Amino acid sequence: MKVNNWHMKIVDSAMRLDSMETDGAVPSMLDEMDRFGIACAVVAPADAAVAVHNVAGNLQMVDLVTRYRGRLFGLAVANPWFGRDAVHAIEGAFARGLCGLFLHPRRQGFRLTESIVQPLLETCRRHRKPVYSSTGTPVCAEPFQLAELARQFPEIPFVMGHAGYSDFWYDVVPALKQASNLMLETSCQVAGVIDGAINVVGAERVLYGSGWPRSSPAVEIQKIERMNLGAAALRRVMRENAMKLWGIRP
Amino acid sequence: MNLIDAHTHLPGRSFGGKPRPIADLRREFANAGLCGAWIFTTDGLVMEAEKNNNILAEAVRGDRDFFEPFGTVNPHAGEDAAIRELERMRFELGMRGLKLHPWLQGFSLTHPSVKPILQRAGEMGLPVLFHDGTPPYSHPLQIAAVAEQVPSTMVILGHAGLDEAYEDAILACRRHPNLFLCLCGPSCGPLAEIVRRCPVDRLLFGSDGGFGSRVIETAIAKFHAAGLSQKTLQTIGCENPRRLVPKQPRRTDPPAQTHQHET
Ligand SMILES: [Zn+2]
Repeated sequence: MKVNNWHMKIVDSAMRLDSMETDGAVPSMLDEMDRFGIACAVVAPADAAVAVHNVAGNLQMVDLVTRYRGRLFGLAVANPWFGRDAVHAIEGAFARGLCGLFLHPRRQGFRLTESIVQPLLETCRRHRKPVYSSTGTPVCAEPFQLAELARQFPEIPFVMGHAGYSDFWYDVVPALKQASNLMLETSCQVAGVIDGAINVVGAERVLYGSGWPRSSPAVEIQKIERMNLGAAALRRVMRENAMKLWGIRP
Repeated sequence: MNLIDAHTHLPGRSFGGKPRPIADLRREFANAGLCGAWIFTTDGLVMEAEKNNNILAEAVRGDRDFFEPFGTVNPHAGEDAAIRELERMRFELGMRGLKLHPWLQGFSLTHPSVKPILQRAGEMGLPVLFHDGTPPYSHPLQIAAVAEQVPSTMVILGHAGLDEAYEDAILACRRHPNLFLCLCGPSCGPLAEIVRRCPVDRLLFGSDGGFGSRVIETAIAKFHAAGLSQKTLQTIGCENPRRLVPKQPRRTDPPAQTHQHET
């Protein structure tokens, strides 16, 4: 399969640990990155860390970021139901260098529009950290729900993870239009929706994601490649937007 | 590989689309790597089922060596009218299966017409492919609950639950021997898990080809990225769809059967 033959080092905004067993997941993640020319990736913790073992998950991420400096960057997690402890968890994680907050409403058991998430967002505002949320789950993680948060917190950049995949594709562009601080992450969603969003809101609001291990760079890079974006737009989507948003350098 | 796509659509005017000549569509599908496709109406799922069954049958009339058309009926038309249309599309139009889309067609699986429609489809040898993976009308276990009541009808979850409900689809497939999963939609992680946990002889390849651009090549890329063996691909992509919808001897003629022949 011929992917990424344009000699550009990709910055990937959507990889996740497969499990809390670091060594089980990281080598295959790094292999995938090598195979497809991904210079560095923003990585979110595994499900168990996202749902309950927040502190351990953040420590694991800090450890990885330290060991693979410039290669892996990490997102902090805290289940908003842990209240004040959740705020402390992400403050600690930000202090140790994690570059944003990862929300997963389906795993964490809350709707994006519920007030329990607000203290975490206020913390992100104080620390100037972007918020990535998985989207596409009915009732709890819909594009318009994330757009509502983006309107409430215009200072925070929000990332619409997996672009509302699957069947919220029709809400993606209208939601992006509601808030200029809302960005789109490309994994899982079909090419036509990503294409359409780039046409309407511009390539500067779109971030490449592999969605690994749910999806794969083999699928996701080819998907973007075949859109025939111009060179400048391709550079933005595959690399520059992410570096700027997360404040990272490979 | 001889890849048959068990989930494609004839582009229509709905969803901002526009009709395309069937020769174009066939060329696109073949170039993407298909040797055949089950094809459904798009417009008929949101309006005028009968008229759109006619349009679909007419469109593929000269290309029956490649396309296997699936018609649709609307359960809201009532049991009698829906079954009349089901028989018409089978015997007059030569449809090879029934496509239902509870979300777009706006019916619950508990609608009283649904079970008789499925029952009759089974009697006529038509597999029934459902859109699935989206609440509140199209979740895997809702469809499985009806499939359980019509054990001799082959029921296909057209999206294997999508990424949000693929685990439900796996459970449904393992429980009901008449329930198949079409792997159109799940990302490659879920896809690998479905193949690992389900009987491989009840899985199908699908892409939503004809609806959206470059979807077939993405679907094929997902299959490869999921690390499936060549043998598995052959079973899913070719043998299974051929078993459900066997090749007809002379594809240009609709079957000349009458009602007496098949009861
Ligand atoms: Zn479809």
